[in-house]
Amino acid sequence: MDQKLQELWGEVMEEKKQCKGCGGALPFLIGFVAAVIAGWVLFPNLLYSKKVQPVRFSHKIHQEQGMECDSCHAFRDDGSYAGLPKNEKCQECHADVVGSDPAEKVYVEQYGQKGKEVPWLIYQKQPDNVFFSHNAHKEIECGKCHLDVGKTDTPPVYYENRLSGYSKQTMKMWQCERCHAEKAVSNACHVCHK
Amino acid sequence: MGLDRRGFVKIVVGGVAGTLFTPVIWKSLDDVSIWSQNWPWIPRLNTGEVKAKAALSKLCPAGCAVKVKTVGGLPFAVAGNTANPMSKGGVCPVCAAGAQLMYSPARVKSPLKKVGEGKFEAIKWEDAEALLVEKLGVLKGQAGKIAAISGDETGTAGEVISGLLGGLGNAGYYMMPSEKFVAEKGVKLMGGSGQPGFDIAGADLVLMIGADALDSWGPTVANQKAFAATRPTGAAATAKFVYAGPVLNHTAAVSDKFLPVPPQATAAFALGLANLLIGAGAVSSASDFAEYKALAAKHTVEEVEKATGLKAESMKELAALIRAAKAPLVIAGASFGQGAGALDFVAGASLNVLLGRVGGGMTLLPAAPRAVGGVGASDKDAASFLAEVSTGKAAPGALIVYAANPAYALPQADDMAKALGNIAFKVSFSTYMDETAALCDLILPAPHPFERYDDVLNPYGVAKPTYLVGAPVVKKPVMDCKDPVDVLLGAAGKLGLTLGFETYADVIKAKAKALGADFDALAAGGIWNGEPKGGALNLGASALAKVAPVTLDSKTLALAPMSNQAYGSATLATPPANLLAVRNTELLGKDLFVQMSADTAKKAGVAEGAKVKLSAGKGEMKARVHLNEGVAPGTVAVLMGFGRSAWDEFTKGKGDNVYKILTVSDEAGTGLKVWAGSTVTVAKI
Repeated sequence: MDQKLQELWGEVMEEKKQCKGCGGALPFLIGFVAAVIAGWVLFPNLLYSKKVQPVRFSHKIHQEQGMECDSCHAFRDDGSYAGLPKNEKCQECHADVVGSDPAEKVYVEQYGQKGKEVPWLIYQKQPDNVFFSHNAHKEIECGKCHLDVGKTDTPPVYYENRLSGYSKQTMKMWQCERCHAEKAVSNACHVCHK
Repeated sequence: MGLDRRGFVKIVVGGVAGTLFTPVIWKSLDDVSIWSQNWPWIPRLNTGEVKAKAALSKLCPAGCAVKVKTVGGLPFAVAGNTANPMSKGGVCPVCAAGAQLMYSPARVKSPLKKVGEGKFEAIKWEDAEALLVEKLGVLKGQAGKIAAISGDETGTAGEVISGLLGGLGNAGYYMMPSEKFVAEKGVKLMGGSGQPGFDIAGADLVLMIGADALDSWGPTVANQKAFAATRPTGAAATAKFVYAGPVLNHTAAVSDKFLPVPPQATAAFALGLANLLIGAGAVSSASDFAEYKALAAKHTVEEVEKATGLKAESMKELAALIRAAKAPLVIAGASFGQGAGALDFVAGASLNVLLGRVGGGMTLLPAAPRAVGGVGASDKDAASFLAEVSTGKAAPGALIVYAANPAYALPQADDMAKALGNIAFKVSFSTYMDETAALCDLILPAPHPFERYDDVLNPYGVAKPTYLVGAPVVKKPVMDCKDPVDVLLGAAGKLGLTLGFETYADVIKAKAKALGADFDALAAGGIWNGEPKGGALNLGASALAKVAPVTLDSKTLALAPMSNQAYGSATLATPPANLLAVRNTELLGKDLFVQMSADTAKKAGVAEGAKVKLSAGKGEMKARVHLNEGVAPGTVAVLMGFGRSAWDEFTKGKGDNVYKILTVSDEAGTGLKVWAGSTVTVAKI
């Protein structure tokens, strides 16, 4: 019996020696670093799907034509914000193909002439339960919240969260609250949730 | 260096620890919580510009001129149209729910063909229209084989339907029962012609006998505005309103005086009042005044008390009020908008003649020019027609149902539904899956009022000719529907008929032109008014001589159906939003409450909350009892609009349908079918 115990003890000690040979804390560090890399690099790529706008809209070309931001993104008479223009506005110039850019042809033939609105992907789309007034925020620079698309020739890639369905750029409530707090604006529920 | 079990565990532990320093867990938890708020069945907001567009809502019988609020082109709310001189910014409770009703689950979503008992299959429009043409084509030229029932008495659609029937060699265009139908008969009995009108705004005393003018009679919103104008804030009222009827309803509740009068005694009440007025010196230049005076003399205050239970003092006070008024006006009608006899109307209207108020308070409207040739509606109503169908006296092979629900909203409703079964082919043009549509062989979905052109000419009660037009608020209907008039005009063309128009919009434009009105201004929310035609009336004495004496039966109670406009109409079930307004003394769970005074309940042997069965003829309904001292003695009041067997989950199977126990009888001397004086037996169950 004593002999058997001694043999077993010997095996345990041998295993212990071998583990020390594995590097002690090294496996832990390997796992830790791998997880950190996966979490910060791989996870976002898995979480978001990439989408492109249905029409490659060039803000750059439109600006070169002398158009201002509010030529299309304007406040209505009642103070509400029109957001993205509808066909009615686009067709003021693009009822037919007027240039050589293939993207314009896509718009005119697949949307404008069929009376179908372009299903633009909205980078900052807020949930329905949020009442956001652009008018109340018009003193803040657009780029504080929106992607700076003003000079782009190709719209930025739209990243859609596979879980929530929202855009990667959709502002979270804590961001709204922080800015409100910094500017001494009420954070009461009813300010945004009507 | 190999990786043993311990080393593997270390890597995993390190991985877990490392994960805590990444957004994986925290971001996933956050996103999952957002995902859990985004179930596919949660409605999504439509975005876009908020606009308000003038529209004509024909969800209520009179039609409301409204403003429909839209966002991104889709309606989301209804408001009054302050620019419209008739509604003056008001809106009735049914039309207020108009936007919600546009998206109702009860809407017929596409053409449906019956494939079995209660079973339908969706078919394409071209197949549905071909089936309609085929069925009508087979019967073309055979008199009495094609008929139509309409519940729309103000729209020009009726001209197209009667024109189509005329072209097919038929004249059976029947209207659902209404006050207008009976009132025009009454005017004829008084030696006149045309639709009567009532200038409530110009009166300083309005006596409403049965007519629920501030809730469900006539152009209710205009009536309410006229009433409100006589009640200036901080000042004395400029007119008195008196309601004499079977139930303390919404009209009675705001009137200066309420006189409980059982439904079968309204003519006796009016003649009793005439007797008091004549006794106080009232005279008339009408040719039949002497005959009328003799007739009224029989209705002493004692006789009136026997018939109505009203004390002599109440009658005398009322007569004194009328004598003191400079511009009194009497409006007579059924408390629930149908089923009264022409004699009830004549008895009330004769008071206007006696008071010299015809032409001032009570007006007569001229016949309007037609846009489509044809003979118009039959002089029988849909109830009389279906009674003939049930006995075999009428045997149509095809029936067109337009904006009507005869299987639910006719007296002896179960018998009427059975009579519909005798007709081989029935097509219903209906916006909603109502009880009649559910019995039809073909259902053709009609657009909601905000999706189509429509018009309203002279809604019953207006004092002067009135015309309103509605244009679509939306670019495209939210369901796969077509305008019934467009479909019928298309069918007429395929059947070799020429009605002169291709679309309903063209018909309405022609109607506006014939009236001398500006179509575009009307479609933008305007109104056209003409002038009453004038003309005198006699007192209707020879007709009133046939007024049957009120007989009281200790075993039965008078039945007073009670209308509440918020709870829907003959063609519309209670809007889901308005169900919240139903009190728990009106409907509790699935039990409807019938209402009677404590004294009446005691005589009937029932008490508060008792379950009872109301029977009349072959019809019966079940309910509970609620004691209400606002109900006339010997009368049981029953709310209308419940007991639906079709529609949607919100309205189906709640309460019971009072139409089932309304019994039809013949009115002496007029040939009319009446049911406002129905009686019932009440038994505890």
